[in-house]
Amino acid sequence: MNKSVVAGALLSASIFGLSAPAFADTELKVYISSQHQPQVWRQVLDKFEAANPGTKVTIETGGNTSEAQAQYLNTIMSAKDSSLDVLILDVIRPAQFAAAGWTSPFEGKDMSVYLPAYAEANTVDGKVVALPAFADSMFLYYRKDLLEKYGIEPPKTWDELKAAVKKINGGENNADLQGLSFQGKAIEGAVCTFLLPYWSQGKTLVDNGKLTFDKTAAVNSLKLWKSMVDDGISKKNIAEVATDDTRKEFQAGNVVFAVNWSYAWAQSQGKDSAVAGKVGVTRLPAVAGGEQATCLGGWEWGVSAYSKNQDAAKKLVSFLSSQEASKHMAANGSLLPTYPALYQDADVLKAAPWFADAKQVVETAKPRPVTPRYNEVSEVIRTTVNAVLAGVTTPEDGAAQIEARLKRILR
Amino acid sequence: MEKQPPAWSRLLDLSDKALAVLLLAPAGLLLSLIIVYPVLRLIYTSFFSLSLTSGLPAEFVGLENYQLMIEDPVFWETTWNTVLITLITVPGALVVGMGLALLANLPFRRQWPVRLSLLIPWALPLSFAGLIFAWFFHSEYGVVNDVLSRFGIEGVIWFNSPNLAFAAICLTIIWKTSSFMALIILAGLQTIPRSLYEAADVDGAGRIRQFFEITLPLLKPAIVVALIFRTITALQTFDIPFMMTGGGPGTSTATLAMYIHQNTVSFLDLGYGSALAVVMFALSMCVTVIYLRIIRTKE
Repeated sequence: MNKSVVAGALLSASIFGLSAPAFADTELKVYISSQHQPQVWRQVLDKFEAANPGTKVTIETGGNTSEAQAQYLNTIMSAKDSSLDVLILDVIRPAQFAAAGWTSPFEGKDMSVYLPAYAEANTVDGKVVALPAFADSMFLYYRKDLLEKYGIEPPKTWDELKAAVKKINGGENNADLQGLSFQGKAIEGAVCTFLLPYWSQGKTLVDNGKLTFDKTAAVNSLKLWKSMVDDGISKKNIAEVATDDTRKEFQAGNVVFAVNWSYAWAQSQGKDSAVAGKVGVTRLPAVAGGEQATCLGGWEWGVSAYSKNQDAAKKLVSFLSSQEASKHMAANGSLLPTYPALYQDADVLKAAPWFADAKQVVETAKPRPVTPRYNEVSEVIRTTVNAVLAGVTTPEDGAAQIEARLKRILR
Repeated sequence: MEKQPPAWSRLLDLSDKALAVLLLAPAGLLLSLIIVYPVLRLIYTSFFSLSLTSGLPAEFVGLENYQLMIEDPVFWETTWNTVLITLITVPGALVVGMGLALLANLPFRRQWPVRLSLLIPWALPLSFAGLIFAWFFHSEYGVVNDVLSRFGIEGVIWFNSPNLAFAAICLTIIWKTSSFMALIILAGLQTIPRSLYEAADVDGAGRIRQFFEITLPLLKPAIVVALIFRTITALQTFDIPFMMTGGGPGTSTATLAMYIHQNTVSFLDLGYGSALAVVMFALSMCVTVIYLRIIRTKE
């Protein structure tokens, strides 16, 4: 009966359909590494699309390690490819991307709303080159059940950790139970492995772009990790262990202590975890007489300098880095916020109660050297750590090699 | 009035030489676009200080990159590793490939299972083979240590020792590349007429004598072709060590190709990376020229 209504609806639909391209004249492509929960970020992008009719955002994923991701982006960016508008970057990369002229700066952006470490990591030569996506740092995961069983407090020093492992191993008598799992493979995580005890001795590696390498502290650091292998605290093939191997071993219940990033928490509480409900998270131990230190992690959003939609891309990045988006990612993706206030937010704490204690750890976390040649610095440290743990190089030779090679890179 | 001949027929008036040049021109143009230009560009870039992380414009530095290379211990280490891999895996793959080809050439009633199993390693992508063997040699979950333990031999941590890691890489490369050698040699084997062996049987020559007097000499062209291809790819070894050890422990199993990749893709030092690539190009050219010389003198 209402043919005319239907026809009118069809007509208006077709007009709307035809005119839609006129609205949706901006298409943005966002690069997100596949390990960073692109499906949860999609929910944030949907909110942005709803608030900005006419802008369509698509996701490109790839590279499930920091190195693989960097290699992909290095290829795209050195080809001056304009296909990506917004890029997610490991916290160690903004300096390199800015030096290469690959990201567009954000003029007059107030960075004081973020945790200071992230305001600093994204500011190069006084220019804001990227905005924080989420925070992260390394923590000590431990088996709450085992520590309680033997009446042990979470260790504050590495020596206490060794003593705790010896006590637990003596009582458990389980050959498959490893004392401590950390990253010994030549990956980015091994750089943090080296820096944790190094920083703990109160030393810095780079200060204001100048190398401030302390050889004694470096020898001590490498000796500490080697002693973990030699004393049977960590397993002999630790030089084969990458970040996610640590997570899997811990999750399978084969590890008392583990050094890992915040992402390991959600999975250790999952359905197929042997240790759900038995996991504690605390600050990483210090060397005897030193201060507790941890490695700053996290990821940032940058706008490609080759993007043809600079304004729209910057608007999107401002949204992705907003408190609203940060809260959504904290509550739905367990990603640590870069806004101090969110660590006390009721909705966030309901989803991830341990965030209440995480803020002070993130706040005291130290950034890895900020330099455009970070990839070279990283390569020197991680291959040396790997060689020392494999027993190919002594801690003394390793420290000497790091010093000699860093001097050439950061001269 | 005389009629003008059609345009196409003028082509026929050209001398043979001019016609040859004309007909080869498109192929020559294509070759220079896809081969000559990149190589010249590579050599050109190698004379510049061009690092994308420095933020500085490219600067002509002459032979400085080559000088740096001579003083760079990692360059020598990776070059030596590459040469060693070539010296071990090329003859290794030849011997294993020859054995496989002879096996596939035996008069089985059903030959396809043998030939299919020859094709599988050849058809696998290199990085995939590297990934699989990285698992095989893993000290805890690997099948190699598991098999060893069944024979009462204690497993080893393959990737903790430069020598063992190197051995694991070479074994993997030989496994992966011997089937390519076998395929080419098998094709060569099938061109040898049966009648030669029948005649040898009549003359009373044994199997071993037949192999050295008939099979091997007639296989020579196929072997040389296989060797050229294999040697050049061996000099460019990248995927298998990249996936298996990442060059570790330390840098003890890194190859020249991996070092080039690291300098260009990770460090974005295009000048130095180009200079390294020029050296690898020169190495490959030398090997090819040597092989071609050998073939010519033999003919």
